[in-house]
Amino acid sequence: MKGKRWESRLLIATYALCFAMFGSLFLLKEPFDKGAIVMAVIICLLFTYGYIIIRKFFPDGDKFIIMFTAVFAVIGIATLYRIDTSVAIKQVVWYTLGMTGFIALVVLLPDLKTFGKYRYFFMIMTLIFMSMASLIGSERGGAKNWVFFGPIGFQPSEFGKIFFCAYLASALRNHKKVTDLIEPAVIVLACLLFMVNQTDLGSALIFFGIAITMLYISTSNSKYVIGCFLLLAVGAIVSYKLFGHVRARVNVWLDPWSDYNGVGYQVAQSLMAIASGGFLGSGIGLGYPHLIPVQMSDFIFSAIVEELGIIAGFGIIILFFLLFYRCMRAAIFVEDRFSQLLAVGYSTMLACQVLVIIGGVIGAIPLTGITLPIISYGGTSMLTSFFALGIIQKISEDA
Amino acid sequence: MEDLSLNIKKVLIVYLLLFVALISYFSYFAIVKGEEVAYNPRNQRLAAKRNAVLRGTIYDRDGNALTKSEKTGKSTQTREYIGGEAFTHIIGYNSSKYGRTGLENTYDKELMAGSEFSFFDRFKDPEKIEKQVGNSIKLTIDSDLQKLAYNELRALGKNGAVVVLNPKNGEILALASAPSYDANNLDKIWETISNDANAPLINRATSGVYPPGSTFKVVTTVSGLENMKGLEDKIFNDTGKLTFEGTNFILKNSGGKAMGKINLETAFYRSSNVYFGNLAMELTNKNLRHTAEKFYFNKEIETEGFYISQSKFPEIPSSDKSNIAQSGIGQSEIQATPIQMALVASTIANDGIMMKPKLVSEIINSEGETVKIFPDEELGRVTSREVADKVTEYMRLVVTKGTGSAAAVKGLYVCGKTGTADHAKSITKQADAHSWFIGFAPQEDPQIALAVIVEEGGSGGGNAASIASKIFQAALK
Repeated sequence: MKGKRWESRLLIATYALCFAMFGSLFLLKEPFDKGAIVMAVIICLLFTYGYIIIRKFFPDGDKFIIMFTAVFAVIGIATLYRIDTSVAIKQVVWYTLGMTGFIALVVLLPDLKTFGKYRYFFMIMTLIFMSMASLIGSERGGAKNWVFFGPIGFQPSEFGKIFFCAYLASALRNHKKVTDLIEPAVIVLACLLFMVNQTDLGSALIFFGIAITMLYISTSNSKYVIGCFLLLAVGAIVSYKLFGHVRARVNVWLDPWSDYNGVGYQVAQSLMAIASGGFLGSGIGLGYPHLIPVQMSDFIFSAIVEELGIIAGFGIIILFFLLFYRCMRAAIFVEDRFSQLLAVGYSTMLACQVLVIIGGVIGAIPLTGITLPIISYGGTSMLTSFFALGIIQKISEDA
Repeated sequence: MEDLSLNIKKVLIVYLLLFVALISYFSYFAIVKGEEVAYNPRNQRLAAKRNAVLRGTIYDRDGNALTKSEKTGKSTQTREYIGGEAFTHIIGYNSSKYGRTGLENTYDKELMAGSEFSFFDRFKDPEKIEKQVGNSIKLTIDSDLQKLAYNELRALGKNGAVVVLNPKNGEILALASAPSYDANNLDKIWETISNDANAPLINRATSGVYPPGSTFKVVTTVSGLENMKGLEDKIFNDTGKLTFEGTNFILKNSGGKAMGKINLETAFYRSSNVYFGNLAMELTNKNLRHTAEKFYFNKEIETEGFYISQSKFPEIPSSDKSNIAQSGIGQSEIQATPIQMALVASTIANDGIMMKPKLVSEIINSEGETVKIFPDEELGRVTSREVADKVTEYMRLVVTKGTGSAAAVKGLYVCGKTGTADHAKSITKQADAHSWFIGFAPQEDPQIALAVIVEEGGSGGGNAASIASKIFQAALK
């Protein structure tokens, strides 16, 4: 029962974090902001409810996944609340929907094994979503990766990711010879080309990460991995030579000040925010998150670090790794090949997203705009993250 | 079917390494680059924070305010430089348009440092946060001396500089540079002052480099006493000029007169160029340069609160006799800042020990508590006490019966050395000489040391010595 003690400790710590953050927001305004406390209570009720359901009715599954998402949701929503209250309220709605989806998947989904055979359905769905923005997309924030149906807009590649992993899991689950790999390779390449066409390099990088990880796990052949990296290198050089926007991103990564009034502006603002906060941060309400561009989605990490400090940044990175670890752990113990690869795919998807966006905003790698799972504002991102985690939760039960 | 869990574990390790790399880079960024990025002038947080805190005051050594800041709105404030032109080069300015200079720049962080708040202060006194005042700094400057020095230079209508300091602790009492400008309305005068041929933006006292002329003979004398045994008793026949093989350059005494058989003492107070030119050749460039470098020529001088341009003493090949001879009398390619020469006088006054010059003595928080005190520091021993005492005697004679009689103050034992530094305005035209005086007083227990230079002010015994006299009088009487 050692596990249970840790769970309740984590639960209590999350309550403490939630009330510490919203408590500060409550005190910040004059007169005191009661809305912050209401938010805190709602969030706590939400994740406690989710936790109890998982704990009571699905005791075989992993209980930490939902707790980690709670920590991220608290940090994300509190930061959004501090920047723009109305956005935070919308985000609570998305969080509620995400949690609902998560629980619904766990409760309603039949055994995942049975989905392994829908290989071609997954393939078609992947191709539809990946190509959608190329065909009918509109430009937003420098990348042509949004699709609007009337007033409702979303990023098709976010949904595409879900099918992409499912397709690869199903295609790679019982491969026997090299020729079995040709079809998945063509699909992956097509997806990458669509992403390059939509100038969504962040997603391209994530798809590459997912594909290579799943390939290695299913084939145990490190030659493939080396081959893929060589291809990536060639691809990177070619796109550097070919596309002005890629060159611009790389140059700005090398020297963020070189194009301060142009492409470099976002990275420079992000770096200044992080550096100004220092190790301990300026404190909630004492930073200047409004100076950071896209501070509620892609750059939310910089806004958090400015006020809560680099220490908090370390905490977020470590928690994401722990989440990744719990997800992969589910994959280790499951028998069915499809489920196993699917869990690996979704875990990698989240981990790569974290590495790419945090690496981008701190200047470790060239910046590519994607969201930080669960923390960033955004419905599509929230729903896909919870969908992926819901599947993993389901898989963890079979383990 | 093979077991994939080993692969999964391997992949976990690879991702663990990637996450560790991410944290490592993050730490590297924070530790190595953080400060530079945070203080990048493009960071708008600085301006926002800057105006949230009312900028601290700069006080002189007696606690008189030299600046006055006032809030004009929640994030706007004005700053008035009460001291006026005489203090501009010391204090500098703080302008969003023209940047920051002087102490406003060096102590920017302290001046805009807000107070620390405890958690409960927010409830007890929420207004306090909006009424934050930065730290204040207390200078070593004596306002009366500073104004006197500046006004004396202005009265002559010449460009120049005056440096006055306490030889015992390095505290700078006056640091004047003329011409100056009024930092209160930069917008109006910027065009004029930045194009003015007299370069009022330059702080001549610390950044103006001049040939030191005969004031440099102090250094040559120290070098001679240290390197040549029995030099004081040696008699030298001064014929009024020194000629060199292979060049038609002639080194002459002032007015070309021959001083006949003289020793070091007479040569010093009568300022014989021939004697010191010859001494420099006997010393060799290496020894004289070594002594000059002990006085911090060719070196960065550590200070508290400001920056000093390097003074230069050249390396001359031994075949170039005429240049070596000229280096003994402070000509050739020697270049010195006024503060460098003030430190030479100050070192002799302080028995051969050079003190670190400082402009700021304390940092005080908004409650009036001292946050930081800058202690007196030695830069090191330049020469022995015996040599310093000997040079002191000679410098006394300069004022009693030599070239520096204009510096004398009745009832005060003033010591000094004059300098009349030739310099070329252009290759063809020789300009009027710079008038130099360096010295200290009183001889028995030196309280102040100084250097005065009046650009193109003629002989050192004239303009510079008489300004020095007025400063000694004001400071010590």
